[in-house]
Amino acid sequence: GNLLSLTLAFLPLVLTFIIRYRYYFVLFYRAVLVRMWYDCTTGLSREERAFQYVLTHAIPGDPESILETFDLWCSKVEFISNIGPKKGKIMDRILSEHCPLTVLELGSHCGYSTVRIARALPLGARLYSVEMDAINAAIAEKIIRLAGFDDDTVELIVSPSDEVIPRLRADYGLERLDFVFMDHWKKCYRPDLQALEGSGLLGKGSVVLADNVLFPGAPNFLRHVRKSGLYEWKIHRATLEYSKGIRDGMAELVYQGIK
Amino acid sequence: RAKEKERKKERDRKRRRNVARRASSARKEGKELEDRPGREERRGRKKRDKEGKGKGGEDERQEEVKNDTVAKTLKNFSNENTRKLEQKEIEVVGEEDGDTEEKRKNGRSEKGGKREDNGRGETVEKKQKKKRVETSAEHESSEEEEDEEEKVGEEKPEVLSPEELEKLKEEVDERKKLISTLRGKPWPMRKKLLTLRESHEFVEKYEGALGKGKSRKLYAYKVMMLKKWMKFQRDFENFKTACVPWEMKIKEIESHFGSSVASYFIFLRWMYGINMILFGLTFGLVMVPEALMGRPYGSMPRKTVPRADEANAMDFAVLWDFGGYAQYSVLFYGYYNSQRAIGWLKFRMPLSYFLVGVGTVAYSYMVVIRTMARNANEDGGGDNNSFNFSWKMFTSWDYLIGNPETADNKFASITTSFKEAILEEQESRKDDNIHLTRFLRVLANFLVLCCLAGSGYLIYFVVRRSQKFALEGLESHSWWERNEVNMVMSLLGMFCPMLFDVISALENYHPRIALQWQLGRIFALFLGNLYTFIIALMDEINLKREEEEVLKLNMTIWEASLYNGTLGVNSTAPPITVHPADIPRGPCWETMVGQEFVRLIVSDTMTTYITLLIGDFLRAVLVRFLNYCWCWDLEAGFPSYSEFDVSGNVLGLIFNQGMIWMGAFYAPCLPALNVLRLHVSMYLQCWAVMCCNVPQERVFKASGSNNFYMAMLLVILFLSTLPAIYTIVTIPPSFDCGPFSGKSRMFDVIQETLESDFPAWFGKVFSYASNPGLVLPFLLLMVLAIYYLQSTSKSYKQANLELKKKLQTQNEENKKKTKMAALKAAMDLEEAQKAWSEAPRQQRNNNASQQSYTGEKNTVTGHLVSSFVFVWYLKI
Repeated sequence: GNLLSLTLAFLPLVLTFIIRYRYYFVLFYRAVLVRMWYDCTTGLSREERAFQYVLTHAIPGDPESILETFDLWCSKVEFISNIGPKKGKIMDRILSEHCPLTVLELGSHCGYSTVRIARALPLGARLYSVEMDAINAAIAEKIIRLAGFDDDTVELIVSPSDEVIPRLRADYGLERLDFVFMDHWKKCYRPDLQALEGSGLLGKGSVVLADNVLFPGAPNFLRHVRKSGLYEWKIHRATLEYSKGIRDGMAELVYQGIK
Repeated sequence: RAKEKERKKERDRKRRRNVARRASSARKEGKELEDRPGREERRGRKKRDKEGKGKGGEDERQEEVKNDTVAKTLKNFSNENTRKLEQKEIEVVGEEDGDTEEKRKNGRSEKGGKREDNGRGETVEKKQKKKRVETSAEHESSEEEEDEEEKVGEEKPEVLSPEELEKLKEEVDERKKLISTLRGKPWPMRKKLLTLRESHEFVEKYEGALGKGKSRKLYAYKVMMLKKWMKFQRDFENFKTACVPWEMKIKEIESHFGSSVASYFIFLRWMYGINMILFGLTFGLVMVPEALMGRPYGSMPRKTVPRADEANAMDFAVLWDFGGYAQYSVLFYGYYNSQRAIGWLKFRMPLSYFLVGVGTVAYSYMVVIRTMARNANEDGGGDNNSFNFSWKMFTSWDYLIGNPETADNKFASITTSFKEAILEEQESRKDDNIHLTRFLRVLANFLVLCCLAGSGYLIYFVVRRSQKFALEGLESHSWWERNEVNMVMSLLGMFCPMLFDVISALENYHPRIALQWQLGRIFALFLGNLYTFIIALMDEINLKREEEEVLKLNMTIWEASLYNGTLGVNSTAPPITVHPADIPRGPCWETMVGQEFVRLIVSDTMTTYITLLIGDFLRAVLVRFLNYCWCWDLEAGFPSYSEFDVSGNVLGLIFNQGMIWMGAFYAPCLPALNVLRLHVSMYLQCWAVMCCNVPQERVFKASGSNNFYMAMLLVILFLSTLPAIYTIVTIPPSFDCGPFSGKSRMFDVIQETLESDFPAWFGKVFSYASNPGLVLPFLLLMVLAIYYLQSTSKSYKQANLELKKKLQTQNEENKKKTKMAALKAAMDLEEAQKAWSEAPRQQRNNNASQQSYTGEKNTVTGHLVSSFVFVWYLKI
C-alpha cells in the first residue's frame, strides 16, 4: 500500500532489534515456548522431566555425572535456571577458599546447586537447603539422595525462606552461618539478607553468594549491599547459565560487621 | 660620717680608675663585682671589652655603637639567609617556619624595648655620663647577645654599605630565579609551596630596600602596579573563559563522559560559530536590505501570493510546509527583485545576493582548511607503533574525568586495552584465527553494502513516487504521502546506523577504529541518501523548466488577450491594471529547491529531537521508575540507559551543515534556521546527555579524531558545493522570479556590474585578467607553488623523523653508558667487599706471621708491625 515505504524504513530498526537482542529471544523461546509445548504434550512438569532424564542417564552416587547430565539436559533439551557450569566453577572456587562448615542454601529448585555445594564441602560440614515448593523439594530430595548425600550432610527444609530464617537458631540450633547461597526469588534477596543480618547468624567473614544479580537482576539487593556498609563485596561477571550473550553476575559478599 | 663620705668618694674614684683601666686593658671585672649592681654586671660582663674600646668620646662612641649594631644586625641577617637556605636544602617543616616567625617577632619587640632603653639611657646621660655609656652599651650588647640568633634586617636600609646592597641584590635575584624555576624542581609539593611562599615573602621584603629615596618609592609603585596588572590579567583570563559560550557545560560533560563525548560538543560549538557568521552575512546583506529597501509585499507578482492559493495561504499546515506567505517572503529566492539597485543607498541587491552566496562557501572552505591545518600542526607526526605499552602505561588516563562511574569505566577500559594489546602482541606472532576475522570483516562490509543499496533504492523509489504525486497535485494526498521523502530519509538515517553498529560487532575492531569505520559507513549512507535526493531534485528542476517554457508561451497569449479584451470593450479608458495576484507566473524552480531543503532541515531537526526525547528521555524515565516494580533489573539488564552516540551525532551535524551549504543560495533563511537548530540542540543535548545517558562502556580518548571530523566536513563541503555550483552555472534562472530574472545565467550579474558600475578601464583590465592566456599560467604557477611547498614540508617531516630517531639512539646509547657505569661500580663494590672480607683474614695471617717472627725477637717490633698492619687495614 501507500505506507509500504514507511514500513520498509523501519526494517533496519527491526533488524537491529532482532540482532542485538537475539539471545533474549532464544531464551524466551527455550524457557517459555518449549516449556509450554512439553507441558502440554507430556503432562509432566519441567522439573519432573529433568529428573526423569537424570535418572535414566546419570550414574547414581556420582555427583559429577549428575551435574553433567543436568547441564546437558539444560543446554540441549530445555532450560532450567540452575547455576550452570561456568558460574558453578566460580562458586566451587569460593567454597574451596573458605571451607565453610555451616552452609545455608536458599532456593534449591531441583537440587543442582545443592549437589554442587555438597560436593565441594569439607568433611563434617552441614548444608541446609531451603525450598518453598513441595513438588520441587521432593524432586530435589530424590536428586540429592541419588547423588549419595545423606541426611547428615544435606538437610532439606520445605518452607518459604522468610519463615525459615528467623527459626534457624531455635529450630536447627545454628550459631553461625559460614556460607549462604541465594538463588530463589530475586525479590526476596534483600528481605532475606536483612533477616539474616537481624538474626545474628552472620559473623565476621561469613560469605553470602547471590546468583543472577544482573539478569534477571536484584537491584534492591545490590543497593542495600552498597549502602549498608556491612560487607566487602564484588560482582563476578559472567553470562547467564546455558546462554552466551546475556550478561549476568554473582555477587559475593563477605560480612564485616559494624565497624 | 666623714669617713663614710671619704669612702664613698674613694669608691667613686676607684670606679673611675677602674673604668679607665678597663679602657686600657680588658677584663678586670672580677674586682669591681661588689661595686656594681649585680644585674648590670651579669649582663654586661661578656661584652665589656667591646664597650671599653670606644671610651674616648661620647659621640664617637655612640656612632661606633650604632655602626656596631648595624654591622651586627647585617651579619645576623646574612646569617639568617644562609640558615634559611640551609633549611631549604634540608626539608623544612611548618613548625620550624613558625619558630622562625616567632623569633622574628621576638626580635622586633626586643628591638623596641632596646630603643626605649636607649631613650632612658639618654635622660640619665646628663647626670652620669660614663655610667650611661656603660649601661646603654650594656643594654645594646645584652640585647644583641640575646637575639643574636633571631635578628632580621629590619634596620634602615640607608645605612647599608654598597657591598651589602650588592649582596642583598644578589640574594633577591637568586630568590627570583628560584621562584621561576621552582616548578621544575624534583621536590615534594609541600616543600615547593613552602619555598615559594618564603621566597615571595623575602623578595617582597627586600626588594623595596634596593632602591633609594625617590626611586624606591617609584619602585614600590611599580611593583604594586605590576601586581595589579597581573591580577587584572588573571581576572581577564577568567572572564574570557566565562565568555566562551557553554564552556562550563562542556567541561562538566567532559568530566562525566570523557573527551570523546566532549569532542562532539566542542565540534557543535564550533559549527555554531561558523553558522553565526554565515547567518550574519545572509541576514545583514541579503534579507534585511530586501525587506527594508526593496519593493513591499504585493507590489509585483513575485512578491504576491497567487489568487488560487490566497484562501489558505495563512493556514498552519501550509506555512509549516513553507508554502503560502512563507514562500512569498524574503525567506526564499523567488521573492527577490531583479532591480539593480534598491533604496536610497543604491544597494546592489542582485550583486550582493550573488556575492554572499559565493562568500559563504568561500568562507566555509577557508575556515575548515585553516582548522585542519592547525590540527595537523598539533599532531606533530611520528610513529605510534613503537613504545606501544609505554604509551598505554603513561598516557591512557583521561585526566579530565571527574565522575567516579566514568573513572571506573575508564579504568576497566584501560585494563581491557592492556589485555587486548598483550593478546595482539601474542597473536601477531601466531596468526591462526586471522582468516576467520578477515572473513567476518568482509561479511560485515558486504552486509553494510547491502544495507546501503537497499536504503538508496528505497529513497529513489519514494522520490519517484513523490514526483508522481506532485504531478497529480499535492492536495489530493495525505500528509504522510506528501512528506514521505523526508520521513523515509530521516528514518533511514536514524535506523541504519544502529544496524551498522550491530553489524560492526562482527568485526572486532578496537573502538577507535570501529568508530572510524562506523563514521565512514554512516557517511556513505548519508551521502547516498543526499545524492539520491539531489538527483531527484534535478529531475524536478527539469520538469519545472519545461513547465516554465510552456507558461512563457501562454503568457504572451494571455497578455495579448488582455490587451485585445480591453481594447475591444473600451478604447478610451486607461489601461486596466491587473492585480499582481492574478498575473500568471512561472513555477520558479529555485524557490522549489529552497523549499525542499528547508523542509528537509526542519523534518531532520524534528526527528532528531523526537528521537532524543523518546529514545533517550522516555527510555531513561521508564527504566528508572519501572525498575521498582519490574521482574528483572532494567538498569543493568536489557533496556538499560542509552549511551551517547558520538559518531551518529557528528555525522548528523556534518550532513546538516552540508544541506545548509547546498540550499543556502536558494533559501537565505537556511543559516538562520540552522543557528536556531544548533542553539536548541546544544541545550537539549547537553541536558539529555547529563540526564538520560550513561558513560560509554569503553571510554576512549578522541584526541586524533577531531581532524577526522574536519576531513569529513571538507568532503561534505566539496560535495555540497558541487551541485550548487552546477545549478548556478548550467541552468538559466527563472524568467519571473529571483534577483537574476531576465539574465541568461546567474553569474552575468558580475559582468553587468563591471560594465555599469566600474570605469571602463577596470572592465578592460578584468577582461584581460580573465583571459585564458593569463589565467592558465597563473594556475600553473599556483600548482607549482603548492607542489614546492608540499615537498618542502615533506622533507621537513622527514628531517624531524630523523632527528627523533637520532634522539632515540642517543638515549639508548646513554642508557647503555649508564648501565655500563653502574655495572662497573657494582663490580668495584664487589671487589671492595671481597677485599673487606679478606682483610681480617690477611691481618690475622699477618699477625700470626709477625707474631711468630717477633715472638722470637722483641715485643716492640711486634707492636710496630701490628700497628702498621692496622693502618693498612684502615686504608683498605
